[in-house]
Amino acid sequence: MKKTDASAFGTTKTLLELASLENLQSLALIGMSKNAGKTTCLNHIITAWQASGQTRPLAITSIGRDGEPKDIVSGRAKPRIYIPAGTLIASAQGALEQSDALLEILELSNVRTALGEVVICRALSDGYVELAGPGSAEEIGLIADLVRSYEPDCLFIIDGALSRRSQAGSGVSEAVILAVSADTSLDPELLAEKTRFALEVLQTPALDQTDKKLLLNACQANPQARALIAIGKVQTIAVEIPSLVGYGKEIAKNLVPETRILYLRGAITDQILNELLKETNFTHLSLVAEDGTRIFLKPEIVRKLRLRNIDLAVINPIDVRMVCLNPTRTNGQTIDSQILIDKMKQTVKIPVVDLGPALL
Amino acid sequence: MKTSVMISQELLNQVGLPEVLQACQCRTPQGKRLKDSTRFFTRASQAELLEELTTIAQLKELVKAKHPQVLEAQTQLSRLRELRGTFSRLEKGNLLDDTEFFELKSALTIFFRLSRLKKLLSAAGLGFQITKEASALLDPAGTGNPAFHIYSDYSPELGLIRKRKKELEREISLAKGNQRKILLTKRTLVIAEEDKLEEQIRWQLGKNLAQWLPQIRHNAETCAILDFRLAKADLAVRWKGTQPVVVSETEPARLENCRHPIIAEMLEKQGLHFTPISITLQQGSTVLSGANMGGKSVALKSIFLALLMTQLGYFPICEGLQTTLYDFMAFESSQDGDLDQGLSSFGFECIQIRNHHRRSQTQNGLILMDEPCRGTNPAEATAIVQALCRTYGTSSSTFLVATHYTINPAKGIRFYQVRGIRPEALDEMSDQQINQESDKYEDLTRVRKIQNLMDYRLDEIEGAHQIPSGAIKIAELLGVDEGLLREMMAAWQEDQWLNSD
Repeated sequence: MKKTDASAFGTTKTLLELASLENLQSLALIGMSKNAGKTTCLNHIITAWQASGQTRPLAITSIGRDGEPKDIVSGRAKPRIYIPAGTLIASAQGALEQSDALLEILELSNVRTALGEVVICRALSDGYVELAGPGSAEEIGLIADLVRSYEPDCLFIIDGALSRRSQAGSGVSEAVILAVSADTSLDPELLAEKTRFALEVLQTPALDQTDKKLLLNACQANPQARALIAIGKVQTIAVEIPSLVGYGKEIAKNLVPETRILYLRGAITDQILNELLKETNFTHLSLVAEDGTRIFLKPEIVRKLRLRNIDLAVINPIDVRMVCLNPTRTNGQTIDSQILIDKMKQTVKIPVVDLGPALL
Repeated sequence: MKTSVMISQELLNQVGLPEVLQACQCRTPQGKRLKDSTRFFTRASQAELLEELTTIAQLKELVKAKHPQVLEAQTQLSRLRELRGTFSRLEKGNLLDDTEFFELKSALTIFFRLSRLKKLLSAAGLGFQITKEASALLDPAGTGNPAFHIYSDYSPELGLIRKRKKELEREISLAKGNQRKILLTKRTLVIAEEDKLEEQIRWQLGKNLAQWLPQIRHNAETCAILDFRLAKADLAVRWKGTQPVVVSETEPARLENCRHPIIAEMLEKQGLHFTPISITLQQGSTVLSGANMGGKSVALKSIFLALLMTQLGYFPICEGLQTTLYDFMAFESSQDGDLDQGLSSFGFECIQIRNHHRRSQTQNGLILMDEPCRGTNPAEATAIVQALCRTYGTSSSTFLVATHYTINPAKGIRFYQVRGIRPEALDEMSDQQINQESDKYEDLTRVRKIQNLMDYRLDEIEGAHQIPSGAIKIAELLGVDEGLLREMMAAWQEDQWLNSD
């Protein structure tokens, strides 16, 4: 069994043990930037899964497109995804044509992408595959159901894609691995701080069950509402606005001193918060997002929220199991991963590993 | 359908046909296409319509009983995908890809499973052609596995290549570093051989399958018909539709307790009840009169929709319906005219009157008009409507007109009247009560109150129809000021006195 160098934790454990993957039902790989190393991490998981003799099959898809030999944006060579026979794949027709594993078609999903319909296949041989999955979390849910109708016990892995961080969570996966590369920063201290903050946001704590129920019921009754406000124990106000951006005033208008919760459905950005922070009644409440991947805030905005006695909470909490470090930048520059890991160890509570290049 | 059903899209929407078509839920793309083609059956296609109606009646019983074969058919049909593109590529001899072969394999499995539902197919009057050989082409080992890939069974050579590839993959899984790279390069060469052979197999497989294309197409069409008939049967069960009886052209259309499904549904949501309508429409003219808000327009729409649904091969929503098959159907209601052509509403109406009349010279039509000439001066308008009733009265077409104008009896003119405000309900409410209460109500509440007072049933009446003096009462119930009401009553009495013999 392949051992992963995780000396930063003073122990040598397998990748599967480190991230506690063995009993997981679903996992999403998300990156802090492009070239973050998600595909390398995926290849390591596949190898580790196979090497440890797991009886449960893997099922792999991606949000959007991944796994092509070249980065579609930069044109640089990218790691490919090599899967063993028995793995299930959900990928668009056009992407499957670029795959060389012998694939048995199990089902056509009716989920369409720019590269054609997403096809559910089983690999009958080892080989390379290209992934181009659905574009939305809802469609990922449909694909997951289809895959589970063939392999109920599989580990369903969702590989993210550039700028898709917001969609990889959203309640579609049980756990997450965050990929971080030196592209985010060459300064170990700064990179460690940025990673710590990204994890803090991703792992924003869950709202308590009673309030969650209250908000979900209000959502059901007002599916068009972009903002929901809870006042007291049972009263909710649904704010129907075309988008969150540009409607800060509209939202704030509904806030009263007794407001306990403001739930914003969609991406929570600095722009929206800057609008809301101008309003004096935006204070002493819980600001709720669907999950941590919906929060795109700079540290200074989060600080401002604290000063206003506003705490962040989520409907669906995300369980981040591991940080995968890629010490190489897109331009080939590499930094010492051990220094990075040491720095991160000081602030990050979950395992941080540099898995090295995948065996391809 | 457009040439046989003379009705603007706006009126068609008002009549409710789009909602009916939407409520008839087909499961396959093929069935949906068949439904959207909206075939209008005429006397020339009477035999086909009768077959359609008989099979729907037979299927309706199975649907009602939730027969397992119905459920199985619905499950199978919901899996059938659009196949037109694949058929066309197969026909043209194009190279199919694996997903298209998979689609065909799935379709053949669906055809086979449906073909075993003997009771259902017998009720539907349909049969599938045998495509066992085509199925065998896509499952060469006969495993019955619904999945598809280019099987090694197609070619011993392919089997050998894959065996070599598998051995290499095993070695790759154990190798590291440079050795692994060398093995991966070797694998690429084997894959090139495999790809080449797979493509040859795809060409051959396509050619072999193309021989079965007529049978496969027939079966896809059978699925479309089965799907559409099942959807119509299901609709008939949900809406309590009835099998219409088609009679000869000299016999009248009879509608017994006819309901407008869309309006009825809307009323039910408001906690109200739709009053079913019964009417007999002889060749010639029928004049429908009655109080304002008495439901004449709804009656006309319900009657037209029931007869239109029949000629489109659906079960009308009646307790009983007999009808001849009209050569054309027309429905007119006062409209805003066609401003693009510079036509006023009366100009537009005149053109429709001209067109329907011309067509009725050679064909048996069903022509319904809701208050024609309502925007014209009453004397001429009465003359026009009277002339229409007289002319159609002696024609072989069926003319039904809702009007407030006094139509004198003549040959071939029959009269129906909406019962209107129930006197006993009105008696229960004193004038004082109405006046006192009327201010309290919102307009919608007042309308509801009037609806409760109304008896929407139609009665055939003898001779000249009496205009029920309901309009001023309605105005009163809607809260018109007392002074204005007094003026209305005075003017009415004056008019009665001047026109009395």
